[in-house]
Amino acid sequence: MTAVLAARNLTKSYRLEAGVVHALRGVSLDVGAGEYVAIAGPSGSGKSTLLQLIGGIDVPTAGSVEILGTSLAGLRDSALTRLRLMRIGFIFQRFHLLPVLTARENVELPMAEAGMPGRERRARADELLAYVGLEARATHRPTQLSGGEMQRVAIARAMANRPALLLADEPTGELDAATGRDILALFRKLNADGTTLVVVTHDDRLAAEAGRVVQMLDGRIAE
Amino acid sequence: MPPFWGLRNLLRHPLRSALSVAGIAVAAAMLLDMVMLSGGMDRSFERLLLMRGFQVRVTPKGTLPFDTEATLPHLAALLATLRRDPDVVAVGPVLGTSVYGRRPSGHGDTLVTLVGYGIDPSAQTLYALLSGRDLAPADSVGLLLSAPAAKRLGAAVGDTVSLVGRLDPQMAEAAAVRRFVVRGTVRWLYDYRGQPSVGTLLPLMQQLARDQGEDRASVVMVKLRDGAPMRTVTRRLRAQLPNAEVNDVADLVAHFRERLVYFRQLALILGTVSLLVTVLLVATLLTITVNERLPEIATLRAIGVPSRRVLQQVLLEGTVLTLVGGTVGLVLGLVTARYLDAILTSFPGLPAAFSFFVPRVDAIAVSGTVVLLTGALAGLYPAWLAARAPIAATLRAEAT
Repeated sequence: MTAVLAARNLTKSYRLEAGVVHALRGVSLDVGAGEYVAIAGPSGSGKSTLLQLIGGIDVPTAGSVEILGTSLAGLRDSALTRLRLMRIGFIFQRFHLLPVLTARENVELPMAEAGMPGRERRARADELLAYVGLEARATHRPTQLSGGEMQRVAIARAMANRPALLLADEPTGELDAATGRDILALFRKLNADGTTLVVVTHDDRLAAEAGRVVQMLDGRIAE
Repeated sequence: MPPFWGLRNLLRHPLRSALSVAGIAVAAAMLLDMVMLSGGMDRSFERLLLMRGFQVRVTPKGTLPFDTEATLPHLAALLATLRRDPDVVAVGPVLGTSVYGRRPSGHGDTLVTLVGYGIDPSAQTLYALLSGRDLAPADSVGLLLSAPAAKRLGAAVGDTVSLVGRLDPQMAEAAAVRRFVVRGTVRWLYDYRGQPSVGTLLPLMQQLARDQGEDRASVVMVKLRDGAPMRTVTRRLRAQLPNAEVNDVADLVAHFRERLVYFRQLALILGTVSLLVTVLLVATLLTITVNERLPEIATLRAIGVPSRRVLQQVLLEGTVLTLVGGTVGLVLGLVTARYLDAILTSFPGLPAAFSFFVPRVDAIAVSGTVVLLTGALAGLYPAWLAARAPIAATLRAEAT
């Protein structure tokens, strides 16, 4: 199995007024292509911090992260941004769609940044919206969509540039149980179609869907 | 999707954006008015001086035209000297003096105070005919009236009017009285609004103004041939007329500029204030909107939107705000300039044809460009703030 992600001895400390907070204490994690990994644990256990480090949106105090064999350490901001654009898809708890854009335009955004021609990216956006079951909502703005629909659009946006790794941070945290189940089914479908998934959650149902569950406690992986 | 999707952010809070546009528009209008004021007075004055194409003024030593009641003596000799110059094509002597017009009323005649001009109608220096006809070169009874003078005297073209000169206010006795026939009504080019002025041939006005009708004039206007080097001719005439003041249009504009330096300073201060207001408005609005949108911006950065794109979008927002506000402001500035001009030119003693605010393409272009650049620069800090937003910390703060 090809390694999509290789994280070694990740440490992350924050210096606060009250003292130094150790969010991660030497975490290592490997994720192979096509895997579905859930990172579970209580609040403050370091799971979201781990996700940010492996997604290249934060820098570890110590340790290393490799995505498809490329070390994130030492990459310039522009190169790291490009890597996130082309190789990593992000899904957030609060969706964070651009309210001024329609569902289709939100999905198009990463493709436009990647330089995909307009007609091609519109077709791809429509294809992705159909994949998440929102083909009829393409021209709606986020304010016209329900929470579940917004998260589906966010998933479509995350898939836009066919990432090697999809990272989701509490993707059902803002959704009711029924809608959450729909998102679980969508993740199952994505993984079945070959997408590598790492999901941070303290939703047991979501964790149970994963092929592998990594439990975290106090900044460490609790084996 | 549109390439400038960030602009749609301006529509998220339409009232806030509209108020900012209004603020920028007011600042831009003020800037344009101040730019027009600082350069407009000079240009208007120069245009006024050149209305009849006379580039040089000869006045009594140490004075400027109509600055004092001093007059040039030995006028004939002075005119002869001027006419001998090969670059001089016309000379127009003018005598300005106070005269009185007799107006019939129920209790006998009443005297109306007038400004009297002694002119040479062959050298069209001072007026534009509105009705009736011009004075003939030897018209010994002809009189031209401004509309305010005609109104005060109750006179029309063809009427007879008596002018009184050298009136002794103590004795209420006039040393010179003469009857004239109104030939036409005119607009005196250098009159202030509502000035009651009359004009007749120079020798007749000289008789009304002084004993024995001394050969004097307040100013001699000199027209040079086309292509003559104005500054050189002025220097030459100055050397030939050491007892007179010889100024060309450039000299007079420079004198004028010195006198109105306060207006220019005021324009500079108010113009700077308006630019500061623009900077503060754009920077404040964009900083507020960027701070509100930090989680959204952090998300964009997380999904791979480069910081330069974030920078561009915020700068573009500032530029478009300024562009819209500036455009509205330039129109507003042109409209307000008309009202301000009407107020300022109603000050006594200013020629009615003078303008403080002269609409000029260069003033509009300079103001528009400066406002636009200022607005764009004002967006730099909030744009930098947006581009440098720490992704992880912002998302963490949003999640808690």
